Amino acid sequence: MTQYIVRRSLQAIPLLFIISVILFLLMSNMGDPLATLGGRQPPRGADRQRLERQMGLDQPIYLQYVYWLVGNDWRKVDTNGDGEPDTNGTRRGILRGDWGTSLVTRRPVLEMIWERLPNTLLLMGTVEVLVILIALGIGIYSALRQYSAADNVMTAFAFIGYSMPIFWAALMLMYIFAVNFKRWGLPYFPTVGMYDPAVGKTASQVIWHMVLPVISLSITYVAVYSRHIRASMLEVINQDYIRTARSKGLSNRSILWGHALKNASLSLVTLIGLDLPLLLAGAVVTERIFAWPGMGRLFLDHVERVDVPVLMGILMLVSVAVVVFQLLTDIVYTWLDPRIRYH
Amino acid sequence: MYTEHRPPRIRALVFALVLALLVTACAPAAPQGAAPEAAAPEASASSVATISFTQEPDSLNPLYTTMWFSGILTDIYLVGLWNFNDAVEPTLQLARELPSAENGGISEDGRVITVHLREDAAWSDGEPVTAADFIFTYEMIMDDRNMVLTRAPYDPYVESIVADGDYTLVITFKEPYAPWVSSIFNYVLPKHILAPVMEAEGTIDNAEWNRNPTVGVGPYVFTEWESGSHILFSRNENHWQQANIDRIFVRMTPDDAAQVAAIKAGDSDIGVYLSFADVPGLQELGTVSIIPTPSGFMEGFFFNVGENGHPALKDVKVRQALAYAFNRDQINQDLLLGLTGTPASPWDLSPFASPDVQPWPYDPEMAVQLLDEAGWVVGADGIREKDGVKLNLRYATNMRDVRLDTQVVAQDMFREVGIGVELINHPSDVFFAAYSAGGPIASGEYDIASWSSQPNAYPDPDTARWTCREIPSAENPVGDNWSYYCNPQLDELFDLQARTVDLDERIAIYGQIKQMMLDEMIWLGVWQDNDMYSVSSRLEGVRISGVDPFWNIADWMIK
Repeated sequence: MTQYIVRRSLQAIPLLFIISVILFLLMSNMGDPLATLGGRQPPRGADRQRLERQMGLDQPIYLQYVYWLVGNDWRKVDTNGDGEPDTNGTRRGILRGDWGTSLVTRRPVLEMIWERLPNTLLLMGTVEVLVILIALGIGIYSALRQYSAADNVMTAFAFIGYSMPIFWAALMLMYIFAVNFKRWGLPYFPTVGMYDPAVGKTASQVIWHMVLPVISLSITYVAVYSRHIRASMLEVINQDYIRTARSKGLSNRSILWGHALKNASLSLVTLIGLDLPLLLAGAVVTERIFAWPGMGRLFLDHVERVDVPVLMGILMLVSVAVVVFQLLTDIVYTWLDPRIRYH
Repeated sequence: MYTEHRPPRIRALVFALVLALLVTACAPAAPQGAAPEAAAPEASASSVATISFTQEPDSLNPLYTTMWFSGILTDIYLVGLWNFNDAVEPTLQLARELPSAENGGISEDGRVITVHLREDAAWSDGEPVTAADFIFTYEMIMDDRNMVLTRAPYDPYVESIVADGDYTLVITFKEPYAPWVSSIFNYVLPKHILAPVMEAEGTIDNAEWNRNPTVGVGPYVFTEWESGSHILFSRNENHWQQANIDRIFVRMTPDDAAQVAAIKAGDSDIGVYLSFADVPGLQELGTVSIIPTPSGFMEGFFFNVGENGHPALKDVKVRQALAYAFNRDQINQDLLLGLTGTPASPWDLSPFASPDVQPWPYDPEMAVQLLDEAGWVVGADGIREKDGVKLNLRYATNMRDVRLDTQVVAQDMFREVGIGVELINHPSDVFFAAYSAGGPIASGEYDIASWSSQPNAYPDPDTARWTCREIPSAENPVGDNWSYYCNPQLDELFDLQARTVDLDERIAIYGQIKQMMLDEMIWLGVWQDNDMYSVSSRLEGVRISGVDPFWNIADWMIK
């Protein structure tokens, strides 16, 4: 197994390299970061020329990528605009831990990501835990009572939840539980933010502000997960070994938790393995609607400004997470199904 | 054995979940009313005014941003020599008096400006504000090691800035420079905080102060910035004028809809940069006043008369016909709800607007006559043509809603007189991209382009946008003249106004510039792009200025 993990990790290096090249090319060709840097007025000509030089945007794209990857402190750059390289660069490159500086805020990218990541993990982690628990409940119940009235009702709701766009659910929840509840004089949920700054960032404030975004995000995920669990469970509980376990006199509870669910979890683990790395990227739409200061909103705000260092930072973080979680998923498979062996 | 151990774990998990849900359900009871005043003892003891922003500032060090949402905050925590009040008049801040020829502040040749600083000004940490801080600010702007956003107007206009004692600044320009009042030292940096950073790191690009300017000079002092959420300012006890309100809270709302919701919910006292379409709904509330504020921005059509533009646009009669055919008053009434007017020039609503220069009227018959005279005759498909070339124009703009609506209405109006229009839209980062970056407008890949522009150093009218030297090319890839219009006579007038320090003389020159631009029809004003603010009725003393909106924030009071 150790050999397998090492081999997979080594294989990930060229993969991540290729991903980074493709992403860098795509991000760098989205528009002109200097066009919106001045706000309502584009920067004047002389400033634009100087900034292009200082930010390295006047360099060929391959060199911009090399600087992003390994830095430019190994060669002289032109700092005063006389056309002659005079001073060594200051960038060290992402391979040496320098994620770059935002073109927009001039802050280190890593600092900006680190500021938003906990907010996103809090929101998305809560959603993932709730979704798994609720979906497990619904999926197992539906499978055990296939075609019962309750199963049919849950199936109907699952399809509604699955078909509902998240932005629509979010806006409807906001309209009903924030706007109208307030109008009707009922206790209402806040519409935006992570907490009321006049009160402070208390646990109760954060939980209260999380309610609507968590529900918005959970609706679709619960629908998807519960359908997967129901289908897997149905497949497993009709297998011979379940019948054998039952004939051995094991209790229903032992059969369900020890045999059926464990074997039915393979597809769920695959699903979670695919979704977990995306938690880091945040929920672009939901974070925007509820003004949640997370990674999704950071990404969206900086896409509009073509802030390549920030975008590359977020995307590479997610790419690495995808590779890592895929590996973890494969390892979990071996625990769930001892027949699986990696060499 | 295995199965026997599982149920207790599951039970524990379920128990933990139920507990978590109970906590979630019970905890919100206290803050559910979302009433800031009643929420916490410390909040109830202090007064707070809330301003809502739809864009988060890029930086709080003005060296590193010219973003409008950053710039309008500086009057709160980082004042300069003077700011501009709601009558667009300079109001003294760190300067003791406004330099003039009478008080000896302006030299006879108009090149040297002497500014006397007030001696009772202190940074929020108690250090005095002196001329050394201004010299340091100038040095930081000009230092190649700092990646500042703009060096205007110091580069290229300033020859030197020196201190004469602790409280006198002597600014020498290379030649007389008329726009100095609106562009010199709108802010100052604390030398005692940033000089050590410069010394240690060789740049102040990464200074902690850029994001957390806890030492400032203004009626308020920066307190905290929670990215994506808010920026908080508290009263500066070391300022020469004590502000009435304890704290200013700038709330980040993700978009217009969220800002309007916050205003309606009473979560925002001052709404900023509101969409015209949201104004009627807010007016109906009865709890906010809407303040349309001229800010120098004028929406207008730029006609491409360069090589890549439609050949018809090189004929002034065709450009004039477009002006006659486009009912801009109707646009202002229908799409902008009568909240603004049709500009005659890019300098409307300023001292440089002359009443005798009026916008071209709507007269489709005159448009038809001019197009006929220019030789463009109506073809079988209703579109005019000449020498086998159809009069189909590419009309480009960005994605702002009201611009998209205007495109559709204009297309119909131009079609009425036989002009076909193809509608093109680019996101802002593409639309405003420079020639060097392949920007479609800068490269002349359009015939009509619509956007809002403002003079370089508003409220000063100075601009070089329509001068020959600003035409973009391989040699000048960052030129600003995207109309590709070149008229040496106009260039002379633009150069002359920039050197003319006497206000009346300068106004007269602008009269000639505007008439020439109107006759030549190189820019067609569509609407005066006023900034719309909402002010809650719980505040009084708020006088929004189009230059420095929060110039009198120390005077604001909560009723």
